[in-house]
Amino acid sequence: MKNFKHFNAYSVDEAVALMGRYGERAAVIAGGTDILGKMKDSILPAYPEALINIKTIPGMSYIKEEGGMLKIGPLTLLADIAANPVIKSKYAALAQAAGRTASPHLRNMGTIAGNICQDIRCWYYRNQNNRFSCLRKKGGRCYAIKGDNRYHSIFGGSVSGGCFAVHPSDTAPALVALDAKIVTSSRTIETEKFFEVKPVKTTVLKADEIVTAIQIPEPPAGSASAFLKFALRRSIDFPIVNCAAMVTLKDGKVSAARICLNAVHVIPYRALQAEQAVMGKKIDEALAEEAGQAAVSAAKPLEHNKYMVAVARTLVKRCILACEGK
Amino acid sequence: MSTETRTFTCPYCGESLDTQDGLKSHVFKSHKGRGLPAAEGRIKLIINKAEHTFLVEPNWTLYYLIHDKLGLTGSKQFCDRGACSSCTMIVDGRPVLSCMMLAIECDGKTVETVEGIAAEGHPLIEAYVNNHAMQCGYCTPGFVVASKALLDRNQDPSEEEIVEALSGNLCRCSTYPQHPIAVKEAAAKMKADKKAKAGV
Repeated sequence: MKNFKHFNAYSVDEAVALMGRYGERAAVIAGGTDILGKMKDSILPAYPEALINIKTIPGMSYIKEEGGMLKIGPLTLLADIAANPVIKSKYAALAQAAGRTASPHLRNMGTIAGNICQDIRCWYYRNQNNRFSCLRKKGGRCYAIKGDNRYHSIFGGSVSGGCFAVHPSDTAPALVALDAKIVTSSRTIETEKFFEVKPVKTTVLKADEIVTAIQIPEPPAGSASAFLKFALRRSIDFPIVNCAAMVTLKDGKVSAARICLNAVHVIPYRALQAEQAVMGKKIDEALAEEAGQAAVSAAKPLEHNKYMVAVARTLVKRCILACEGK
Repeated sequence: MSTETRTFTCPYCGESLDTQDGLKSHVFKSHKGRGLPAAEGRIKLIINKAEHTFLVEPNWTLYYLIHDKLGLTGSKQFCDRGACSSCTMIVDGRPVLSCMMLAIECDGKTVETVEGIAAEGHPLIEAYVNNHAMQCGYCTPGFVVASKALLDRNQDPSEEEIVEALSGNLCRCSTYPQHPIAVKEAAAKMKADKKAKAGV
């Protein structure tokens, strides 16, 4: 790693002031498992001039129920979220997602906010020494379209450029399914609207904005949630496809459903068609199958990732059945 | 006399100010109650129960500091990207990857390496040797440290718990089946020792 300036921020205001001063020339470091890998490989055209450490800000790691919602501090470790009894029982999808992220050691380092703010893992983008100057680096084109795209988007590229790199987070679909809100240093954003595809950017966060809390409303009575992940190995790997769902039952029938796939699109992909397919009906194997089919109805896979459509369809089906406890 | 304009740099955040008074008011406004600024890069660590003070560069990882600078060469670096876990150390009671941590951010932390585990005569070392839970041995320190962290929080782990706790550690010689056997043996030994101690 090349050298850089290092600042410890001791309050959110201080972090914001520092980020405002450095703008795009600085990067924020929390768990560090993503940013340090990027810096070691020098994947970006510009190497950060400074790192702003936000781990030194006190009171950023907590899990508490308050005012009908669950509040999670941005620097709460994934391991703590996966092991928390309240999250395990009431917000099962999030506990399962956090528990399936990376490896046990990385979960002891990685934070929830870092997990949703992480950068893409596209192998052209991540190739060492900025070898492929792709669209996400303000370069000319997406190399995955004609290259090896077995882990790329099956729901088309980004609107603005045609980048096909998927969003790799495991906790993001769980937060979308649980209808969470992301509180930043200047506003509150719905999780669904938090993600944005821009060069060297995966979120709507401005250059001087950090996540300061995550709020999840308490699921209505009769709700259950689940998270499933398909990856090459059980541990360490990023998802090939993952899926989170929250289903609310009333008199045995579905009164509300939120289903979100991830690693299939440039941002977490909410499967609205699947949600509509199960609405007002009694969940059984056939309906779950139908919902899975509906979820991938808009899929337009590339040359090497047609298998992901089948995986996504099956995960949606199994996730709905898992919510029902089957 | 120099005609160069002098700037005053804030020791807390690096902002440049034109006058000393400007710097004063900036510090009062932005960094009130922060105390005197610490010397840049000076950190204190407790490594294997011994206290150390270091002067580190921002780009030094915890692994680099402990392995290359301090000379505790037990932990190994293989992938340097947080994927293989051969550099595992116990920091504040949790097994973490020292290649993906900046040393400068570890000020005040307690670190335990494989040397510390060996020095305290932990039964894991013997159990690993007895069960030949290694071939080339490069990943072994990482496995031992991860197992020690597991035994610290769970004295009687089941096979699944051991597999889960070690699921981040890679071994290219595929010694995987031996690790649960070794960890269980160490756990049994610890239990027997505890009983013997209580009996006396």
